[in-house]
Formats: sequence, C-alpha cells, structure tokens
Amino acid sequence: MNILLVMIPLTILVALVGVAAFFWAVDHDQFEDLDSPSHLPLEDADEGIELSER
Amino acid sequence: MADAAIWQREAVRRHVVKPQDAELDEVMLLVDGLRCGACVLRLETALKQLPGLRRVRVNAASNRASILWARDSLSLFEILRGVEQAGFQARPLDARALDDQRRSEARSALKRLLVAGFGAAQAMMFALVLYLGMVDPLDEPTRNLFRWLGFLVATPVVFYSASPFFKAALRSLQRRQLGMDVPISLAIAIVYGASLAIAMTGGHEVYFDSVSMFVFFLLCGRYLEMRGRHRAVDLSDALTRLLPPVARRYGTGQATEEVAVLELAVGERIQVQAGERIPVDGRLLSGVCSVDEAILSGESEPVAKSVGDDLLAGSLLLQGPQDLEVLRLGCDTRMAGVLEIVERAQSERPRVSRMGEAIVAHFVALVLGLAALTALFWLWLDPSRCFQSVVAVLVVSCPCAFALAVPVAITRVLALLARRGVLVAKPDAIENLANADHIVFDKTGTLTSDQRLASLRLFSSAGAGSAKAVDALNDDERSVLALVAALSKHSQHPVAQAFTPFLSGHETMPAFEGIKQHAGQGIEAWLGERHLKLGRSAFVGLDERALKSEQSTEILLSEQGMVVAGFAVHESLRSEVPEGIKALRGQGLSIELLSGDHADKVQAIAESCAISRWHAQATPESKLEHLYDLRTDSAGVVVVGDGVNDAPILAAADVSIAMGSGSDLAKASSDIVLASSDIRHIAEARTLARQALAVIASNQRWAIVYNVIAIPLAAAGWVTPWLAALGMSVSSLGVVLNAMRIGRAQECSAQDMVLAKQSA
Repeated sequence: MNILLVMIPLTILVALVGVAAFFWAVDHDQFEDLDSPSHLPLEDADEGIELSER
Repeated sequence: MADAAIWQREAVRRHVVKPQDAELDEVMLLVDGLRCGACVLRLETALKQLPGLRRVRVNAASNRASILWARDSLSLFEILRGVEQAGFQARPLDARALDDQRRSEARSALKRLLVAGFGAAQAMMFALVLYLGMVDPLDEPTRNLFRWLGFLVATPVVFYSASPFFKAALRSLQRRQLGMDVPISLAIAIVYGASLAIAMTGGHEVYFDSVSMFVFFLLCGRYLEMRGRHRAVDLSDALTRLLPPVARRYGTGQATEEVAVLELAVGERIQVQAGERIPVDGRLLSGVCSVDEAILSGESEPVAKSVGDDLLAGSLLLQGPQDLEVLRLGCDTRMAGVLEIVERAQSERPRVSRMGEAIVAHFVALVLGLAALTALFWLWLDPSRCFQSVVAVLVVSCPCAFALAVPVAITRVLALLARRGVLVAKPDAIENLANADHIVFDKTGTLTSDQRLASLRLFSSAGAGSAKAVDALNDDERSVLALVAALSKHSQHPVAQAFTPFLSGHETMPAFEGIKQHAGQGIEAWLGERHLKLGRSAFVGLDERALKSEQSTEILLSEQGMVVAGFAVHESLRSEVPEGIKALRGQGLSIELLSGDHADKVQAIAESCAISRWHAQATPESKLEHLYDLRTDSAGVVVVGDGVNDAPILAAADVSIAMGSGSDLAKASSDIVLASSDIRHIAEARTLARQALAVIASNQRWAIVYNVIAIPLAAAGWVTPWLAALGMSVSSLGVVLNAMRIGRAQECSAQDMVLAKQSA
C-alpha cells in the first residue's frame, strides 16, 4: 500500500496543475468567444488581420 | 460607494438618466446578486420606501431594474445607496458596465464550476475506496487517510465554489427574508460540518463526496441559467456595442476632426465612411447611397437613400464617404427606441412570473419547517438517523424548479422573438398571443404598402376638373400639391406618405396653426385665415360621388368648407401578406379585415389574400364596437395595425401588434412591435409563445411532482445525501434544459434555409 503515498500526492498535484492551467486560460480570453474563431480561416486576408488586431 | 458620486456629475448623469417628462426621470440599473424571486421582492420593497419613487421593475433573469422617480425629491445617488442598503450592488446601465459585469461573472462562474468538478471527481474517487473498504476491510489508518483526503478536496469546493450560495443566503437572512439559497447553504454547511466532525472523532460515514457533487451539479444549473441570461441580453448588447464611439465632425471648412459621439450636438455635420456604422440619426447631405438597416428592422435588403433622407443610428453605410447632419443623439435615436422596448420587456415580469415568485418564498419556509419536523421526529424515534434525514430533506427539495421555470422560458422566448424583429413590449402579450383565437387586421399600412400618388384634379365652382397624372402638372396644381405635401407631413396616416416625395425642400414651410388629427379620417389646420381640411370625402364634407376605383384612395382638400382638390392615391398589397395570412389560418385563427376604406377596395384586398370576413368603411367607433363584440365570444383577439392610426382599437385588443414602419417605435402603444413589418412573423411568434407556455406548464408540473414525491421519501430517511444531491440537481438542470428547447426546431429550419440560400 505504500505506493498510495506516491500516487495520491501525484493525483492531487496533477489536479492542481490542471486547475492552474484552466484558470490561466480563462483569464487569457480563451473562453470569451467559442464560435467566431472557427470562421477566421475562411475570412478574406485583410479582414483576418483586422480581426486579430482588434 | 465613492463611485455613486460620479453619477451625480451632470455630464455623466446625462448618459444614464432619461428624463421621462417635466418632473420624472428614469434609469436602468444593472444589479449584482439578484438570484431569485425573493431577492426581487426584497429589492422592490426596499426601494419603494424611498420618497419620490414612482415605479420599480426588477427582473432577476436579466439582472436589471428600471426605476422611475420624481427628479425634485430624489437623486440617483440616493437610489444607488438605497439599492446597496438592500444588500445589492447596482450600476446605472451603459454599454461598458454591462460588458464588464457579464465578463467577470462568466469567468468566475467557469472557474468555480471547474474547481467543483475536479473536487467532486477526486472526492468520489476517495469515497469509492471507503465504500469498497466495507467489502474488503481496510485498516483504520488507511481509512482515516482517505477521510482526510476527501476533506482536502471538498474544502475548496465548499469555500470557493459554493461561496456565492453562502453570500446570497447571508444577504437574504440579513433582510429577514427567505431566498432559495438559504436551504441550499444550510444543507452544504451541515453536511460539510458533520462530515468534518465525524472524520475527527473517527466515525464511519463521511459525506465529502456528496457535498462536492451537490455543489458541482448546482453550479452546472446556475451556469446554464447564466448562459441563457447572457444570450438573452446579447441582442441589446450587440446593438449597443455596434454604435461607434467616435465620429468625424466637420469644423469650419472641409477639415474633419475625430470627436467622441457623446460630444456631438444636433445640427452639426459629420462624415461617415463606407462600411462604417452610422453613429447618430442624421439627414443625408451628400449624394445617393444605400444602407443596411437589418439590425433595426430585420430586413436584409439594402435600402436606397437620397439627399434629405433620414439615416438611422446603427445602420451600415454601404457606399461612402457621406456627409450627414446630426438630427438625434443618444437616447433619442430610433435604435435607442428599439433597445428600450427590448429592455422594458425584459425588466417587466409577466403574470406567470409574479405567481412563481410568490410560490418560492412560501416553498422555502415550508421546506425549513419540514426539516425541523423531521429532526424532531427522528430525535424522538431514532437519533442516529436524524442527521441523514434532515440533510436529505434540505438537499432534495428543489425550489429552483419553481424559481427558474418561468424566467428562463420567458427570457429565452423574448430573445428568440427579438432576433426575428418581433419586439415584445409587454411580456403578458406572450401568454395572450398563445391563447388568442381571433386576429383582426387593419388594411392601410398593415396589409398594404407603397402609397403612391397617381393623379390630381382641381375643383372649381363649375365642378370637378379632369384628373391629371402627377408628372404633367401646371404651376397652379403644383403649388396646391406643395401645400398638401406640407400639411400631410403633420399626419401619421400611412396615406400621407404618398405626398412626401412632393415636399419642396427649399422654400420655407407654411406656418400651420391649430393642427388637429382625426384618426382614420383626416387632418385639419389653419393657415392664416384659411381653414384647410384634408382627408376622406366624408371628412371634408363631400358625399360619395368622388372618384371610385378598386386600387386607389380618394383624398380631398377643402378650404373654408369648399372642396378645392382631389388626389388619387394608389396602394399595393405587401407581397408576403398572402403567405402570412395562410400560416395564421393554418393555426386555426379566425381572420378578419377592418378598414375605413371603400367597400370595393377592401373587398379586392380581402379576396387577394383569401379573407372571407371583412368590414369596409368602418369608423374608429364602429371598429371599437365590433372589437368588443368579438371579445365577448372569443378566447382572445389580436389586432394588427400601423401603430398610431389604430391606437384606440390597438389599446382595446387582448394583444396589439403594431407595424414597426408605421410610427415612432418607442411611442408605440402596442404590446408587440413588428420591426420588420412582415406579418409572416406573427404566426411564427405565436408558435413560439405556445411553446413557451407549454414549457412553463410542464416545468411547474414537474417541480410539483418531484417535490411531492422526493420530500416525504427524504423525511422518512430513505434517501441518502448523495442520492438527494443528484435528484435535486438533475431536476433543476431539467428545468433549464427544457426551457432551452423552445424554438429549437425553428432555429434548425431557419439555419437550413440560410444554408440552402447560400448554396443556391
């Protein structure tokens, strides 16, 4: 059962890293707009530039 | 509260406060912390105690409160302080406040949801080890380790993810009122606290997994509800955000400077480039262009404009650059009118919703009472089962199903309708529209459009002259026409539009006095000593020997009681009308046509859209009488008119629908405004309204059935805390998802149509 003493801290560590990564993503606008970025490649070139500048 | 003082500064105040009349001001507030019906009641009672406050409308679903107050006895500062003392944070609504609040709300909700999700998953894993331990016994230290691991992952869930529930519950207790967060918080605190105590004393059962799961599922429901709420305000939000913040203003000469739109004044000249949104309502000064007014009317076809035409704020300029003269700014623009209708509808609660809120407060009191009874019962019978049963009662009871059922459905249907250019000004109209079985149309301006002046003839003492086409007039005739055009500018009857092209823009307008409009009849005015009357033959005092023809209306001008000129105005049926009528008939509505026009004309229109019941030459009084007759033997009468001309019968109808093109939107006295003027949307709106009512009814039925079954089971001690958490969460999720179903079929078919169009 000693393996538990390694595995459990490890799972908690992984969970913490996951939560931290998610918080970072939320704070960096990754979840602000889930629909329009998928259309970006289809836009004409100059409009694409305009969008990324905005 | 230092912020509140900022709103007192005149320059800032001007952008959030709308003067209603000489003594009343109105403001729309964004209120943080509105969770349920009980909070709404609380805020309303607190605000109503302020002196000088005239009206408060609070909507929990959109987080808004609209407040009307007397300017002299109350200030905006005092209102904001009042809201704060009631336990809420409020900001006067402008586009930026709305945006920030929504963004931070969405972000923190996502984070809390994720922490709860991770926590719940981990807690369940550790709990599983303990459950399996009953089959294959573990030694005590290992068991203890897993109990404390459960505690470790449940702690952030309770203190971080569940903190909104505690805060809301605390606020409502401070006000000595019961919101639905009270039993929820109580349940979380009891389960968590008891599990901690058990873990410390080394007992057997810990419920860290149950409490994490409970919080996670609750947050799922709240998150979905928040998404729906945000989507509902998306429309007005998108509209507001579309308005550009800066404009190019002409100084002296041809140079332009960039200024904030807020700094513009009426009468100044600005330049707009092609592809830009027009920032204000203005008059076109340079050249011909076309604009896309889809955002205002839902019509996607570009509209052609020429010099002197009005351009509307929010519409897209397709050819430019163009110069405009500023006519209306800020809250006076047509777009602000549209926004106001949408916002007013969202902050006004329909009957069904008010009933739901009253139920919630009673329900929460009942649940707390039942929990106390359960506790006493088990303490007397078997103290060991007391804890589990009380927790189960608190957790399993679901006020959310009652509290969410109505606002979620109504908000959803309002948003769907707004997207189709159907603006609902009074939410009760949704219920009435769904139940109506008669629909009455006005003809002019509703079923017909394109008023066009075809011919004119002058009357002399010898009798009527011959009719002449408008493109072959002599000077005499032309001056009469210019006079009539100037006079008809004061009339809002759709026929008056026929004269608009003949307005002479250059000369000074004749100074009419004592202008009086007679609804559906005509207009009269004094020009110096000359008493002019313009309108139907009966109105100007001529009997029925005027020109009669199937497709034209005869308008007469009289001076001092003598007829001096006659005008034939042609009109045509809107192309989408027959299809719209057919759809309404398909829904089993009985359709009627009421018009003040000649019988042969009304008959022609009625036949072309297959309406069998029509009444011609109706006066406003006879229309009203007929409407009352209809209402006595029907479930509900819908009246469709052009807004101003039909105001009396619109006001008397169960549901009134006004065409958006008819008159000033914000002033429309109707329940529903069709911004697109397309009557096909009426049938669609009715389908959506019926769906919404069905969803509300099924949600409420579900909530009653669920609670009646679940609470007794829990009180009897047959429901374990984790099962209770699951049941309650699933039932509130079900309510929200059920409401999201409204309009799904229509959305899909609309998307198919768009796709088909694109591929064609």
